[in-house]
Amino acid sequence: MISHKIIALAFLLMLAFQTVQAQELPRSSESALNWLKRMAEAPRKHNYIGTFIYYADGHMETSRIVHKIDSSGEHERIEVLDGVPRIVFRSNDEMKCYLPDSKRIYTEKRWFRKFFPDLLPQPFDAIDDNYHIQETRRERVTGRECQVLSLTSRDSLRYGHQFWIDVETGLLLKVAVLDGSEIIEQFAFAQVEIDGEVHADLLKPDLSVITDEWKVNNLVTSIFKDGNLKWQVKNLPNGFKKLIEMKRNLAEKTTLVDHIALSDGLATVSIFIEPITKDMPVPVSGFFTSRGAINIYVRMLDENKITTVGEVPLETIKLIGDSVFKQD
Amino acid sequence: MKSKVSALMDGELDQQDASGVIESLRKDDDLQQEWETYHLIGDALRQSSRLSMDLSSSVSHKLESEPTVLSPHTSKIHNQQKHKVFAFATAASVIAMVSGWFIMTNLYGPQQSITVAERSKHEKSLTVVSPTMVSSPTLERNLPHPPVEMNDYLFVHREFSPGINMHGQVTNVNTLSEYHERYGR
Repeated sequence: MISHKIIALAFLLMLAFQTVQAQELPRSSESALNWLKRMAEAPRKHNYIGTFIYYADGHMETSRIVHKIDSSGEHERIEVLDGVPRIVFRSNDEMKCYLPDSKRIYTEKRWFRKFFPDLLPQPFDAIDDNYHIQETRRERVTGRECQVLSLTSRDSLRYGHQFWIDVETGLLLKVAVLDGSEIIEQFAFAQVEIDGEVHADLLKPDLSVITDEWKVNNLVTSIFKDGNLKWQVKNLPNGFKKLIEMKRNLAEKTTLVDHIALSDGLATVSIFIEPITKDMPVPVSGFFTSRGAINIYVRMLDENKITTVGEVPLETIKLIGDSVFKQD
Repeated sequence: MKSKVSALMDGELDQQDASGVIESLRKDDDLQQEWETYHLIGDALRQSSRLSMDLSSSVSHKLESEPTVLSPHTSKIHNQQKHKVFAFATAASVIAMVSGWFIMTNLYGPQQSITVAERSKHEKSLTVVSPTMVSSPTLERNLPHPPVEMNDYLFVHREFSPGINMHGQVTNVNTLSEYHERYGR
């Protein structure tokens, strides 16, 4: 009994010291930042073909990715293999998404989102301000040795991340998003071939599927200069910056929707503002969740519906949604 | 923080997080109250005949009345004397640490973890839970799914990347007033 108490007390003391260490969160080490640099550059340096899995809330989705680098830049094809078919083609900043079931093609001239395994923006300096990056261990993913990096949020405004980075090429092979110690979503390659030959045909739409009956929607109508959109944000939560502001032409909407995108270097948040019209379903204020790390907040302002969507905690979503105002 | 207390009780925190929460528990009477309430709820759900009670004061009283209990009896641990004295000094300066000890002996006992697992099963099957549980963060993940019309936004936000399924989802809403009730702001 005595020894139990001693062990418990000693253990508690040890934990207390660890807490002190954890609260300090110093600047990230040079070598940890070097891993991030390699990871950010890898998609610009290597071809890869592979299958990756998205996992969240007990749901799993498999996608196939083909990624090629040539003199004209980056070309990519991502096909969602489970459920409703969806094929995304990307050539540098241009995106085309084919939805064979509904015979729709969505196009976007300026792709701003970063996506697995190409997650990091360039430059990525802001990341160290918002996250503490640490090298933790080596682990094997799809038969390749990976360096594991942990990114701990410096405040409660964002989720933590873990990156598994291929030691040889720097390519991100697995990522986990964490709310505290709970993993809320993961992307991971189940199989990947890096630096192999990528035949150009793999990056073209299958013409037998595409007929002229397909309806094409261009999702962006106009991109605005910073501060020119009617709707603006002020007093953003620490670390979040505006990426872009634009008017969008969404498929099911008769009116244009204003879209402001923000990022803290890793997490992205979108704000959509649209006028409330008679023909739309009566909007309801409140909070919603989608799969994984996504939270959604809807509020009304001057006969407009403001919807904030992003991979950040609920409180951050609310702060950002509430920061929207109409400028004169 | 309340959410973390609940996570701690469910054994969902890693060591570092757990220590942080224990630290906060130690300092914050309200959180301690929360901890006890969660246990009481857990017991009620398990239909335990012995409901959790605030043991920390009695344990602390017991420790105070038995100072010798903390001293080693045998010569085997003689060389650890210095460490223990240090540990006791710290412990004495923070009497509330006893409740931390109480938490740990509960959390890290193997038997306890089994009952904790059983309890969470119960919680899932019983949707009608006492209102205090609402502040638990696990419920954050159980927010209603967005209405179908919001799928457009989701797709545009994720730029059609994998991870969002194409099927419509339930249209149930958490109102703002519910948020204020939950998060108290």
